[in-house]
Order: sequence, then C-alpha cells, then structure tokens
Amino acid sequence: MCGIAGMAASANVSQKLLRSIAALEYRGYDSCGMAVQRNGTIDIRKNVGTVEAVNSLERFTDMKGLVGIAHTRWATHGGVTQANAHPHADNESRLAVVHNGIISNYKELRSRLESEGAAFRSETDSEVIAHLVAQKIARNGQDVEEGFVEAIDELEGTFALAVISADAPGMIFCVKRESPLIIGLGDDANYVGSDFSAFFEFTRRAIIMEDGEYALITPESYAVKSLLTRERVDKEVTEIEWDAGKARRGGYPHFMLKEIYDQPTTVQAALQIPREDIQALARMIHESRQCFLGGVGTTYYIASMGQYFFSRLGGKYLPVISTDEFRHVAEVGPEDGFCAISQSGETYDTLSALRHAKSKGAKTAGIVNMMGSTLVRSVDVPILQGAGPEKSVLSTKTALSQAVILLLASMELGLLAGRLSEAQVAALREEVSSLSDLVLETLNERSGFFHGAAQAHQHMKNWLYLGRGIYYPAALECALKMKEVTYLHAEGMSAGFLKHGTISLIDENMYTIVLMPTPEEAELHALTRSSAEEVRARGGFVLGYRFEGDEMVEGLFSEEIVLPRVSALLAPFLHLVSGQLLAYFLAVALKRDVDRPRALAKSVTVA
Amino acid sequence: MRALILAAGRGAGLYPFTNTRPKAMLPMAGEMLLHSAFKKIRAAGVSDLVVVVGHRADRIINEFGQGSRYGMTIQYIRQDEPTGIRDAIRLAKGHFQDDESFLLVYADVLSSENMYRQVVQAFGSFHQPVAAICHTPHAQNYGTVYLGKDMQIERLVEKPVEREVGNYVLAGVFVMPQRLFDLLENLEMDEALNELCAGEGLRSSIWEEPWLDAQHPWDLLKGNRMVMDTWTEARVDGSVRLRGAVQFRGPVVIGKNVVIESGASIFGPCFIGENTFLGNGVLVRPYTAIGANATIGFGVELKNCILFDGVRVGRLSFVGDSVIGEDAVVGSGTMTLIQNLDQSAIEVRMPEGKVDSGLDKVGAFLGDGAKVGASNTLASGAVVPPGEVVPHHYTYPRGEN
Repeated sequence: MCGIAGMAASANVSQKLLRSIAALEYRGYDSCGMAVQRNGTIDIRKNVGTVEAVNSLERFTDMKGLVGIAHTRWATHGGVTQANAHPHADNESRLAVVHNGIISNYKELRSRLESEGAAFRSETDSEVIAHLVAQKIARNGQDVEEGFVEAIDELEGTFALAVISADAPGMIFCVKRESPLIIGLGDDANYVGSDFSAFFEFTRRAIIMEDGEYALITPESYAVKSLLTRERVDKEVTEIEWDAGKARRGGYPHFMLKEIYDQPTTVQAALQIPREDIQALARMIHESRQCFLGGVGTTYYIASMGQYFFSRLGGKYLPVISTDEFRHVAEVGPEDGFCAISQSGETYDTLSALRHAKSKGAKTAGIVNMMGSTLVRSVDVPILQGAGPEKSVLSTKTALSQAVILLLASMELGLLAGRLSEAQVAALREEVSSLSDLVLETLNERSGFFHGAAQAHQHMKNWLYLGRGIYYPAALECALKMKEVTYLHAEGMSAGFLKHGTISLIDENMYTIVLMPTPEEAELHALTRSSAEEVRARGGFVLGYRFEGDEMVEGLFSEEIVLPRVSALLAPFLHLVSGQLLAYFLAVALKRDVDRPRALAKSVTVA
Repeated sequence: MRALILAAGRGAGLYPFTNTRPKAMLPMAGEMLLHSAFKKIRAAGVSDLVVVVGHRADRIINEFGQGSRYGMTIQYIRQDEPTGIRDAIRLAKGHFQDDESFLLVYADVLSSENMYRQVVQAFGSFHQPVAAICHTPHAQNYGTVYLGKDMQIERLVEKPVEREVGNYVLAGVFVMPQRLFDLLENLEMDEALNELCAGEGLRSSIWEEPWLDAQHPWDLLKGNRMVMDTWTEARVDGSVRLRGAVQFRGPVVIGKNVVIESGASIFGPCFIGENTFLGNGVLVRPYTAIGANATIGFGVELKNCILFDGVRVGRLSFVGDSVIGEDAVVGSGTMTLIQNLDQSAIEVRMPEGKVDSGLDKVGAFLGDGAKVGASNTLASGAVVPPGEVVPHHYTYPRGEN
C-alpha cells in the first residue's frame, strides 16, 4: 500500500504537499518523494525514510512550483532505495508519475520500452508508466491528455496514479482502477489523493473517482472524463465532515485495533515468505555452535517464544538475550550465530548487539518488517516479514508475524536436524496456515468478552499474567502490552515462579490472568491449574483464558474467557491476541492515547 | 443527507412506562431519548427527517411538530400495526429518491457522544453503505456481525447462537442506499444487509463510546448514569431561586424557575427540571434526574433515580435506584428498599414474572399516575402499574419483605 497526493494551486505547493504525504504516512513510510513543475521543467526529490527524515535530507519545502505530486511508499517489490522511491520520471525528466497499486504487465512493457530506447533507473513496476506515457505523448504530437489516455489503455493491474508533465503546465492528470483516488476542491487550489486524509486540512469538498474515469486538475478547475468516450462525466461534489484524528487513521478508531484485525492477513504473509529464506535462517542456526536470539521489548518476548519452538521442534536450545544487555553478557565467537528481531530494523540496542556479534565474527540473521532498514542491509540472512506498515506504537501484527516466522524456522531446523521428515514439516505448515482463520474467529467471536472484561475491571490497577512453558513468554508479552498502553501495573511471570515471592502480593488489589494451555498438554495443564488454585486460595481474583473443549477447569476461575479450540502448536498465538484485545479495550475505557502512549516511540533509535 | 427515524417501537419490556408512551419518549438525564437523538442528528448536519411513528404517536407529534423549533423539517409516517422494522422502513419508500443514500436510525438507542456524526462521516469518506457497530454485554439480543479485511462487514447473523455473542453488534445507525427499499420487498432486514455485504459492501463504523439500548426498566438508570458521566460542569439557570443556604457539589444541572429551600444539598452529577420545587433539607445525591414541575418535600433523600415530570415526593421519604413515572405520587415517609439482606441480585416483579436484574441494588418502578400512600415500604424490584393506588401504611407488594 502506498499513498499518493497532488495539488494544483495559485501559490507554492511544496509545504502543503509535505503535509499531505505526512497525513498519508499510515499507508506506508519506507520512502517518499515529491515532484513539482517549475518554468517548463520537472523538479524531483526523493529518498529513503519517513516523511520527516526525508524532508530534512532533501528539503522538500525548498521546492518551488504551483503544481506538484508526492508519494509515500511501502515497498512490495523492488527494494527500498532512493531510485525505487516515487515519483518516477521518463528519460528526459519532462514527466513525473506517482503510483499506488500493481502494474501486472510491467515486465512486457518494460522490455518493449527498453528496446525502444527507454532508460530505466529503478526496479519498480511503476516506472514503466512514466516511460509509456512519455512515449505516447511524443507519438501524439505532444498532446499530453491523448498520450496519457492511450498509455492507461495499455496498463494492466490495479492502480491509482497521478502524472505531471512539463508539456502541460498547470495540470495534473490522474486515473484509477481498483485502487482508491479522490479529488478535493479548494478555493484557490484543487487536490488529488489516495484518500481524504491527503487534503482534509485544506478542504472538505470532494469528488469520488470511479474506475473507468480519468481527471484533469488545474488550480481553478477540474474535469472528470470517461476513458472510453473522453466525454466529461458529471460528478457529485460531496461535503466531508470528519474529525482530523480519524481522518489521519483512515476511518478506524485507532491504528492498534486496525492492526490487530490485520493479523489474519499478516499470518498469511508470513507463510508466503519464500521457504528458502526461512531455510537459510534454519541452516545458520543449525550450523552455528550456539545461536543467540535477540530482541528488546516485545521482540525479546517473541524471541523467548521462539526459544520454546526451537527446542521443541528443532531440538536445539537457543539463548535469548535482550539486546540492550547483549554486549554485557554474551560470549559470542566466530562459530556462533545471532538472529535479531526488529520491526523497524533501526532499533539502537538491537543494532549495537548486532555490531558486537559481527565484530566477534558471528554469522547474523534478522527478522525485520521494514525493507531497506539498517538491520536488513547488515545481516547475512535477512527475512522480511511482509506484515505491512504498522503505525501504532504498540506492536501487534508484526509481533504475531515474527512469532509465526520463528515457528516456521524451528520446523526447518527440525528437518535439518533429522527430527522431522519433509512430510511432517508439510503437515505442520498446513497446520500453521489454519492460524489465520483461528485468529479471525477469535477477533470476531470473542472480542466482546475482552471488551466486557475491560469494562467490568477497568478500575483494577495491578495485574499479573501467569503462564507456564511457552505460555510464560506469552504472559510476559501480554503484560507488556497492557502496561504500555494502559499505564497500569502489569507483570508477566512463570506460574511456577509465583510462589517464590510474588504470591505475597496477592490481595483484592491485584488481579491475576492465567493463560491456560490446551488440555492435550496434560502436565503443563495440571501445573498451571495448581498455580491458579494457589492464587484463589489466597483470595485472589483469577481471570482464566482457556480453550473450548477444556473441561478440567470447571470452577477454577473467578471469571473466564473461552478461546476457540486449537492445537497446542497454535495455542500461544491466540493468547497473544487475547493480550492485545484486553490491553486495547482497557486503554479505550481508560481514555488513553492508544496509538501514541506517553513516553513511547515506535522505533527506539537511541541507547 | 436526509434521515429515516424509526420511532414506532413500544418497548414492551420497559413496562410500566411504555403503556403510556413510546420507548423513544423515555427520559434519561433530563432528556427524552428522541430529543437527545434529534439534537445529535442535527449536529451531524442532517435536518430533514422522516419519522415513522406508531404506538402513542401523538406524544411524539405533539412534542416535535414539524420540527421548526428544533431547526429541522419533520414528516411523519404512521405505522398502525406493530409489525416490525422491515415494515416500518418499507412504509418510507416513497419518501426517498432513486440513488438517494439516507441515514437510518433506530430511535431507541442511546449513545453518550455523537454516533450519528461518525456514521455520516464514514459514508462521506468511503461512499459505501455504513453500519455502526459496537460491543455490548447483551449481544444475544442484537444482530451480530463478522468482520473481514479492513474491518469491512462480511456478513451478519440476526439471531446469534451462543458462540456468536462475543461479536460486535449492529448499533442501530446506518447509512443505507435507496436500494434497501427494493431489497426489503422480498427480504428480511438481516437478509437485505447481507445482500449489501455481498454487493457494494457494508463498511463498519466502530463505536467505542458508551452505548445503550434500554430493554428493561432498570436500564433507564444505566442510561441516566451513562450520560451524566460525560458531564463536567455545573449549569444553574439564572432564574433559579435559592431561599437560604444550599450546598452544591459537582456537575449540577438545574433548569428555569426551580425553587430550592434552605438546607438542601445537591450533589452532581444530577439534573433538576424547570419549575420544580425542592423543600428544606432535601438531599439530592449523584445520578438523580428530576423532571419538570416536580415537588420534593422536606427532608427527602434521592439517589440514582429518575423522576419523570410532575412527580410529587412527600416529606421524609427515600427514593433510590428507582424510576418514578409522570405525575406519580410517593406519599410522605415512604421508603424504597434497594438491597437484599444477602446482597444477592435483585429480581424485578415484571408482569410476566420475576426477572433477574443482575444488579445488587434496585428500588421500585412506579408507572405514570401511580399513587403510593404515606408511610409505605416499597420492596426492591417492586413494580407499581400506572394509575395504581397503594393505601397508606402498607408494604408493596403485600406479604413480602
């Protein structure tokens, strides 16, 4: 997903365009760029990074022009590089294009255009649009509109795009097919954008474009026309009334909720990571004397879950170290491996742990969501999560996807170690593919119970999450999610550890949540039950999260929430989702700033 | 955009109050449901309304008329037989043009903030049919939804079975295409919505603020509290007369020409309607809403209760966790009991039998015009039918507590 914006105005547009792409950042933020028309030429600036970072590098606001287009990108194919960032230009840079979507016939178009003299600068599908439109304009005696429409006829796939040309001063051409595009009408300017957030600061009057239409936009006017007939189409002008906060979030109450609901998709994306990439990670782990797993905050807890996967399925113990402590404790050498996990790939502590490991000659791997990040570029084996942009400071969908990737890697390790057969791995992968539906079922059919628990217990200030086995790191992550976003005191703990001290805290001011294993994990189940009993015996309130079909917990809890029936392999994932939901609904009930909790930043790039 | 408001519902579960008025005309926090809805709909930029009325339509038409007093234009359609939502919507078919999308509102739903604006805005941005959804602990009473990619509604279930009660539910506010009328020719409402899901799509507008659809008389107290919890400041009309020292605390809202005698203590959030009289030493505790033209005698204590217009409460009475209908009289020295000795949940004596309220404190529910004599005890969960007369010095109902 990418965001596009454009405007034609009677005053310089660069400042406003910058605000537009900043507002569209939730659609992607790995690179961005801007193009303006100026004295019969096109000026393009673009680079890798967030809108703020690229602006300080490229100084968009120094650009001068009355017509411009801009783009914020989330890479799907083609790496995150300056060349791959939008806008893209033709050979002479007399034309610039920004594009959201996929051109499915770009390979054929590209080889044809190359044979006809187009010099490509990027690996993107989008660049073919620039060359194709330029070629068609040239063939139509510099008639930009005719060239634009002819070019669109040859494109296959889904797209929303905007073009400016030095040959059509004061004009923007735009078109959509399946990807969204709307036009905004201002007093002294007209706008185009992927959605309303592109120009909600400037105008509330909008026109919704439909497939099969294209539009010409100038500072004083606009014309929407049919691609088939080139005749003008009458369009209704809509008054949009919307509070700015929601506009920034594309209509969702919070990014966190949207991203929690993205998880069925991100699980699928993790399963679509090329198997050779996952195998490369497993091989590195297999061949190293010992392989450290490193993360910090949520990723540390996810790495800790991975530890259980690797020992259970891969037969290898992997030391997990919070990356802020890595240098101080890890004994790492050339025969060792280090696998770092980071959503942004820019986490300071994790990068410094990585540097330490590399300086000792260790092989390195990274599980990262942001293409083109420092971590991706620095490791021997990078794995890209493909979870899409995560805008909430709270990590939800990327954390779940990292856990899925670690699970997949542990299966491959089991295969390499001769503990699992190819057929067993295939069966396990099949099982993991059912996680998507299970997560969706949990969200659809159970979210109300978490909402209800949050409403009923929002006044409780202290929470304890208990789990055993792999449910222990899950408990740690659930507790972290709760404290991050609700500012309540929450502690995760292994259930066996409880009686060695912490149990003295149990009273009416401390609620305990117990993450039950599945009934098939008999020993773990019995031990966890007895921990719940210990808390209840001391008068503690226990909220149990258990799975459907578990009949051994009758009367054990003060209250319970029942999750869908699930295998032991996938059960911890549903507990992660549970932790997200309770934290979210509590934060909403307590009126917290959900997507930007106090004192937290998305990517911690300092020590 | 124009709106279609469904206000014909009787709300039979809300006995004894809905014999004499439609559900939409029940007051909470000093305002009738429909009042509160119209104000918010107006604030959402919608002022042209088609209102379907049925049960006791006169009460709505007399109150709102053609709407000019509220800056709105209101047309009424009568639904003479209570045959449900589908029929109510179909009656409005001729009032909307082809290709006209309209705001569809179930008028008996209460939201603390402006849910209508959020739905109108979602439509403005996505140009797709929209349905507000929310969570409620009583999901089994509503159509529940299944969400898919981008939280679009994929399908809905009209009568959820046990496993579907954790879902988001339809919150009673929609933007619907004119096509809905055609779909309802042959389909039930849930089928028609599923048809939209499969066709142009149905976008969810997620409502996270408090939401209530009152189903039982005690729910009125929940709605009352829900609204008052959003109050942050006191508003006392300039015409209010205080005859001596009166103590105020918290967000106290007092209407025109209220008279309060000395020694009264008024603790907000609470509401006192216009022309009401409060005698010496009256104690009004939080979450009390007193209607207009009420008379509250010397030394009366009120807490967490709703008194409709024209109620009289005699001296030295206590009314708590109760709802008292229009022009009802509570004789002097009358106590509402509000709790069981073992603190178990209160059962309310509805006409169909005892109903568990799930609440550990519930007082009494007096229908319009009921008269309770002096020196009475009203059992927790007592329901006094409209117009009923309870003699002096009696325990109601007889033979209990």
